[in-house]
Amino acid sequence: MNSTATDPGRRAVLGGGLAALAAPALLLRAARAADEPIRIGFPTPLTGPFGAEAKDQVRCASLAVAQFNAAGGLNGRMAELLVRDDKLNPGEAATRTLELIEQDHVACIVGSLSSSVQLAVNEVTKARGMLYVSISQSDTITEASDFGRTTFHEALNPHMTAGAVARYVFRPGMKVAILLADYAYGNEMAAGFRRAAAAMGGVEIVLEQKHPFGAADYSTFLPRLRSVKPDVVCICNFGRDQANSIKQAVDFGIKRLARIVVPVLLYNQRLAGSADAFEGVVGGANYYWTIEDRVASAKAFNDAYRAANNGAVPSDYGAYGYSGVRLMLEAMRRAGGVAPDAVIRELEGAHYDTCKGPETMRACDHQAIQSVLILESKAKSAMTSPADLFTVLATEEGKDANLRSCADLGHKT
Amino acid sequence: MSAPAAAPLPADQPALLLRWRLPLLAAVLATLPWIAPSQALAVNILIYGLYATGFNLLFGYTGLLSFGHAAFLGAGAYGTGIALARLGIGWFGAIAIGVAASGVLAVLIGALSIRSRGIYFSMVTLALAQLVYYIAFQADDWTGGENGLRGLTVSRLRVGPFALDFLNPVVKYYVIFGFVVAALWALSRVLNAPFGAAIEAIRENEGRALACGFDVRRMKLVAFALSGLVCGLAGALDALHLSIVPIDTLYYQTSGLAVMMALLGGAGTFLGPFIGAAIFLLIEDTFSLWTSHWQLFVGAIFILAVLFLPRGVWGSLIAWHQGRRA
Repeated sequence: MNSTATDPGRRAVLGGGLAALAAPALLLRAARAADEPIRIGFPTPLTGPFGAEAKDQVRCASLAVAQFNAAGGLNGRMAELLVRDDKLNPGEAATRTLELIEQDHVACIVGSLSSSVQLAVNEVTKARGMLYVSISQSDTITEASDFGRTTFHEALNPHMTAGAVARYVFRPGMKVAILLADYAYGNEMAAGFRRAAAAMGGVEIVLEQKHPFGAADYSTFLPRLRSVKPDVVCICNFGRDQANSIKQAVDFGIKRLARIVVPVLLYNQRLAGSADAFEGVVGGANYYWTIEDRVASAKAFNDAYRAANNGAVPSDYGAYGYSGVRLMLEAMRRAGGVAPDAVIRELEGAHYDTCKGPETMRACDHQAIQSVLILESKAKSAMTSPADLFTVLATEEGKDANLRSCADLGHKT
Repeated sequence: MSAPAAAPLPADQPALLLRWRLPLLAAVLATLPWIAPSQALAVNILIYGLYATGFNLLFGYTGLLSFGHAAFLGAGAYGTGIALARLGIGWFGAIAIGVAASGVLAVLIGALSIRSRGIYFSMVTLALAQLVYYIAFQADDWTGGENGLRGLTVSRLRVGPFALDFLNPVVKYYVIFGFVVAALWALSRVLNAPFGAAIEAIRENEGRALACGFDVRRMKLVAFALSGLVCGLAGALDALHLSIVPIDTLYYQTSGLAVMMALLGGAGTFLGPFIGAAIFLLIEDTFSLWTSHWQLFVGAIFILAVLFLPRGVWGSLIAWHQGRRA
């Protein structure tokens, strides 16, 4: 009898005790969440063929975080960058992204450096309502089937880049031959050239020659390019393929015959290759350090980078790392917190200038509308310093008309 | 049959271990999400452990070194992924389709490749698997090509009247754990059955097995198909886990991964490949967090393992244990 009487009492004591123990723990947890750092997950291929680009992205992203913290953070809440090596492998990137979300409780993900890897990261983030800023080229990620409301694409895309280069180089009556690496990047870039040629009218694509991704020997493809006697040869490949194919194209005398054009002229690949092979090659870029002469934000970015890296200048893909992280942190500051809905509201349609002049985050597909630089590789004799690689021939300012429309991408408008 | 030098191990493992190997493994795996650095990594250990174990059925037990097992992992993953993303089939049916696709492919590739032996067998499996890779690469309407297959995220699992939150890492782990343990149990039964003894006889001496009246070719084909089914299940689970199917799943490096994991843990032992997979993934994960030169350290550890533990980590432990008892 006594025991039944004491039972509720014991329960109450136990329950009360547990509650008393739990309450400070819960309060502590709530308090901790407020001054916990804002963690930014940064998957990037530190190992593999794009290692040089990835390492510069890390340097630039760290710079953006340091500047945010030096300016007081988000009401005293500091930011922290968690760099993970995705090994240029979509499966590895997906695993790393899961870890960053589930284990490290990041507030957002920024990064990845290839079409397939960013699509893998995006698949994981969009299912979990996690903010993601992609900083490498892809036409697919903003299409309705892959797009999620937390997906933002800060990089240029092949349609914009190839389009800008084509509008600068192509003239009616020209014959164009395209050499492309047979994977997403090559095909999307070639499609960009094709669409620009069609829009211009009178430009004839006389040959589209595919080569396998990672090819070392181009001697079977180059004679076909020569035989069609083009005015312009567009070489659509990335990284090491670009350096190899341009060098061999020069050896085959293509440069004497036609103008060599690439959609993206990479700072690091030009450094890895030689000035002689690249001389006169024209291509597009999101960033090149000499725009500091006319763009104040580029000057500030370069100066901060120089101070942190012994006077070196940032690369094109490095600039993506900076602008991707800074874009997100500034939106969080404006939103007054890291809640995805509030941050998305701040980002959609936002006008901003992180390091290359004005950009706009298009509301319907979250693509950053921005300028494309048209660069030409300098001759060795014209270089005034080891970092003086290119001449900026023109700047195509960002405008909506240069992007595929949201209706084209499958978005409801 | 020129069986690979490092692979075979005397089958007479301690009887106690033989009986308790599965409960032991299941008990360790049940606590893995709280031991491993992350739950996502713990799921990877389950999946690649199963993959290496399936591969080991052919390599360690039958003595056939296949360099094309990525095809089965990939067939399972793409089968499941296409069923989910393109055909709109439920998750359980999708897994079944993935495993079946992998089984059919294993019978096809097996029937062609078991006609050759030794290094030629390895080369034929490699060539056929690369064929599958290029088909998947080109058929991008179905597979997503180089961009990989997307759009197969499963966020809720319907099991009868219940709906499980599959985005919760713990739930995901234990669902996949269930499948893996069931597959390992089936595999353990098969290896304990007369069939298990027969394929080991083929591994030890194919001529003698033939003389004893075993239908060697059929045995090899059945082992090949079973191995493909297990690897297919691993692939199916991988598709559910990552919610993507990267084209790299089918690449020959993924085939090499199975060989490495099996050798590291101990080919020809039941638990070895699983342990090899766990060690491999844990080392890779911890070192790549610590330094961007992780490949240097992982490589050094491999060289040390090959030099000092030629039977693999688990295989050497068993051998050491037997040496002490003898």
